[in-house]
Amino acid sequence: MKRILPIMLGATLGLLAATSAFAIERGGAMTFARYDDSTVIDPVYADRNPDLWMVNGLYETLLRNGPDGSIVPGLAEAHEVSPDGKAITLTLRSGLKFSDGSDLTGADVVFSLDRARDANLGPWAGLLGAVDKVTADGNKITVSLKNPDPTIISILATFNTGIMPKAAFEKAAGATDQEKARAFFAAGPVTSGPFVMKSHVQGSSMSFGRNPNYWRQGEDGKPLPYLDRVEFLVIPDDATRILKLQAGEVDAAEFIPFARVGELGADPNLKMELFPSTRIVYAPINTREAKKDGEKNPLADARVRRALNYATDKNVLIKLVTFDTGKPMTSLMSAATQLHYGPEPLYPYNPEKAKQLLTEAGLSGGFEVKLTTLAGSADDATLFTALQQMWAPLGVNLKVEQVDNPTRGEKNRSGDFDIHTYGWANDVNDPAQVTGWLGYYKQRQAVGTGWNNQEFNTLFEASNAETDPAKRKDEYKRMQEIYAAEAPLLFLFETPFAVAVSKSIEGYVQTPLGANDFSEAWRAD
Amino acid sequence: MSAITQSHSRKPGRLAAFLARAFTRPSFVVGIVILGLSLALALFPQAFAPYDPLAFDLQAIQQGPSLAHPFGTDNFGRDVLSRVIWAYRVDMQMAFFATIFALLIGLTVGAFVGYYGGIADVIFGRCVDAIITFPFLVLVIAIVAVLGPGLVNMYVAITAVNWVYYARLTRAEIMAQKANDYAAAGRVLGYSDRRIIFRHLLPNAISPILVYWMTDMALAILLGSSLGYLGLGAQPPAAEWGVLIAEGRNFLMTAWWMSLMPGIAIVLTGLGFSLVGDALADLLRPKGR
Amino acid sequence: MPSLSYLIARLLQIIPTFLLVMVFIFLLVRLLPGDPAIAMAEAKATDAQLEQIRQNLGLDQPLPVQFLVFVKNTLTGDLGRSIMLKAPVSEIILARLPTTIFLALYSVVLAVILAGPLAFLAASRVNSPIDVAIRGVFQVGLSMPVFYIGLVLLTVLAAQLRWFPVGGYGKTFLANLYHLILPALSVALYTSAIILRNLRASLIEVLDADYVQFARAKGLSPRIIMTRHVLRNALVSTVTLLGLSIGNLMSGTLVTETVFAIPGVGRLMLEAIFARDYPLIQGLTLTFAVLVSVVFLLTDVVQSWLDPRLRQS
Repeated sequence: MKRILPIMLGATLGLLAATSAFAIERGGAMTFARYDDSTVIDPVYADRNPDLWMVNGLYETLLRNGPDGSIVPGLAEAHEVSPDGKAITLTLRSGLKFSDGSDLTGADVVFSLDRARDANLGPWAGLLGAVDKVTADGNKITVSLKNPDPTIISILATFNTGIMPKAAFEKAAGATDQEKARAFFAAGPVTSGPFVMKSHVQGSSMSFGRNPNYWRQGEDGKPLPYLDRVEFLVIPDDATRILKLQAGEVDAAEFIPFARVGELGADPNLKMELFPSTRIVYAPINTREAKKDGEKNPLADARVRRALNYATDKNVLIKLVTFDTGKPMTSLMSAATQLHYGPEPLYPYNPEKAKQLLTEAGLSGGFEVKLTTLAGSADDATLFTALQQMWAPLGVNLKVEQVDNPTRGEKNRSGDFDIHTYGWANDVNDPAQVTGWLGYYKQRQAVGTGWNNQEFNTLFEASNAETDPAKRKDEYKRMQEIYAAEAPLLFLFETPFAVAVSKSIEGYVQTPLGANDFSEAWRAD
Repeated sequence: MSAITQSHSRKPGRLAAFLARAFTRPSFVVGIVILGLSLALALFPQAFAPYDPLAFDLQAIQQGPSLAHPFGTDNFGRDVLSRVIWAYRVDMQMAFFATIFALLIGLTVGAFVGYYGGIADVIFGRCVDAIITFPFLVLVIAIVAVLGPGLVNMYVAITAVNWVYYARLTRAEIMAQKANDYAAAGRVLGYSDRRIIFRHLLPNAISPILVYWMTDMALAILLGSSLGYLGLGAQPPAAEWGVLIAEGRNFLMTAWWMSLMPGIAIVLTGLGFSLVGDALADLLRPKGR
Repeated sequence: MPSLSYLIARLLQIIPTFLLVMVFIFLLVRLLPGDPAIAMAEAKATDAQLEQIRQNLGLDQPLPVQFLVFVKNTLTGDLGRSIMLKAPVSEIILARLPTTIFLALYSVVLAVILAGPLAFLAASRVNSPIDVAIRGVFQVGLSMPVFYIGLVLLTVLAAQLRWFPVGGYGKTFLANLYHLILPALSVALYTSAIILRNLRASLIEVLDADYVQFARAKGLSPRIIMTRHVLRNALVSTVTLLGLSIGNLMSGTLVTETVFAIPGVGRLMLEAIFARDYPLIQGLTLTFAVLVSVVFLLTDVVQSWLDPRLRQS
């Protein structure tokens, strides 16, 4: 054993070196076709996916999400949580610089974190709600908490705590923080991440350039990133985005419809990447006793909700909607989420059981349900068509209602729906965000379903102050069991992020949280 | 023949003569044949469609055109030919219902403001200006978003915008007719305004409006299918050409028949309407104006 | 040219029209289900956060107050800030408008180039096989939805044959001509079909007309007849038609801009509606209203310049 280990290590390292380190080439540009444009890539104000998935390209966080989902050092080379869980001490690396060459110091960290937790500014301040104050002493940063918060470490690796340059930001024109942010970003902001923003034409294109002062080293021992430039083109139409890629006018295209994955995978010039994600596709079920119009709601009965889940053949949906790229849900959260518990797929297809449950609920005669879907979404149309066929034998008459996104949001918030389609991807590398969203009544009435389970709520509150990781894990296990049994959702499937990339580009990654990571991408031709 | 007698002499014999003249024109004949066939498909789709348009066949997904499925099958294994045929029912309905109310409202409003003029005409003018300054599609999309998607709401939305075009046309025609001798003669004879408008002015003014109606029905199919394509028109799983093209847009390369066949149906039907409309316009145009 | 007093009267007429447009769009956007706060927070905000956003946007004010603010700001030239793009509406529109105007003009030019000569050809040989063929082809163009034409052109000419770029737009004038040819063409096909139909009909009519017959009898050269009588008359009707179809053209660019990924105001309008971006929808509507009014006015001017008979009335 003792002798084998070094040999194995050596072989592994050698293999790694042979496959990557020597092959990496520096320089050049890649062009990336996006489905939507960013508006403000400010860690604090970013509120839409096209914004927040770009923040890490410009702003580095104190801690980082490692490739395997664990938390790894970022700008801070070490961090320590005090025994009472009420203080986190971080040590900044030495020699850190912003893109303009100025030093990145504790003052910048305090400024950035104070900005991030200011509830008057951006929508993410609540994530830092437990923070009492942030102080800096040389390269030592102390984050003091009002109460223990097990999520805080993950938050320090989340885009909204990206470190901004205090001096440059305050120098920007404007009286308020909003005006300063706008002026700061319009001028081509000073950054701490792998790239700087060279130009941005709203709705059309954006250009990132290499930040020469970025701290992380590439495999060749020189600073990242490898690419000199990343050019972004905004092409909202799926078919056009793909055509652009096939015509060789761009090097990568994101959000490939699953229907096209097979075709693009067979293209000799392309790699069809299916990045593992925390994305889930589900359908909230209105669990209130009465519908919006006052009528009795059959879906208030958990047996009926279970029956519909059993009557849904997830494997067929995965085939028809995701073209076999998805996988069934095993819990309320994706399997890639920390503290996920779900030994097997929820509610495997079982029409007999569905029938039996409906009979128990006194609904063997059938009933009518309305599914609210997104207008113009091919996936939703397919989903509806398939569900209608699957549920018809049970006497469930499924009606469709197509609406646009804000209308769906309004219906969700006012409880004016039976079942509607929805999707989610985690923004934080911690289960609390998705769990609070889907299940905690006091936050959003459990994703608008009106599901209010005392045990679940108590567990959730306890878990958010739980300093013992093992206990927190148990609490999460129990919450996921309750949620699965109560079925306030139609559990559908998890999907990957589908990005088609030219064979000449290596190393581009979309993280499980959705972030576009170009820091280790390089051009092979 | 004086103007007064002309407006009264709508005898069946004239219609027959008119039709006889029309049927000597190849474009009119082709148009009428297309429309006749379309109408037949719309009325009796079950007689023509070889399969149930909604029936899945997961064993036969996206098969190309063959003897069993002349237009191929879609991503659920549904027969595309049957879906295109059943879509005739929805799309021909759209052509009619999206325009008929606009026509009726437009005729009435246009005739009244054209005849009376004055303050009503001024108010009408401003309303028309306000409505036509919006891009048509934007306005319809916004109204559909307010009312919710679906065919009936789509008709309401289109009518709410479209009547203006009929009214404007009618107003202009009525004003032109009003200047003619027979209108003055009618007033001298002491006919009521209603009688002058509906018995004398409108019958003489109506042919360009009916021609416009023909082309507008083709437009309604284009608009309706565009809305269907955007998910704001007919609701799935109902077959409608725009919806069918939307279903096929992800498979342009791999299953081209899914979007091409409904596309051909749209073009063909539109062609029918415009051929007939054109021929009528030619025939009804007064010689040597 | 039309008299000054006529122009002033026309401009005065625009005022009530604009007021109507403002009332109309203000109410319409607020009737839309959902609001900017919901659209903006992408469903991740709590209800309390939504209330906060609404307050920040002034949406908690009573409607009449909001409307007065809207009118007052518009009169001072302030169209407000876009909620979705977090920038002044006027700035955003000014950045995007040239692209749309370029596309619209380009497609009109293409349509005239396509339809003009062919209409003459068809009209000079009424009901000949050439006439029938030309009309048939353009009828097909008239019967195709713009989104479908766009899809077909993209797939065949850009993706399969690689003759043209897929979507996007260029930086210089020439690059734009090249980049926007497919989108302009897909709008132009429809417009050209309308022009052809109208032009052919009016040409036939004019060629038949007494004064042209008379000119012919007088022995005027065909060229003079063509330019002095026929062309001028044909132009009048075509200009009128183009002026009136500006709304259609705008709808066409809206669809094309989406399919071809062109960052113009048409696509922006759709995005603004889907984001319930009240200030941006309002600003864009007013912009469209100005555009359309200007085009109508220009149509009037050109019409009366081309057709002396209209000058008196």
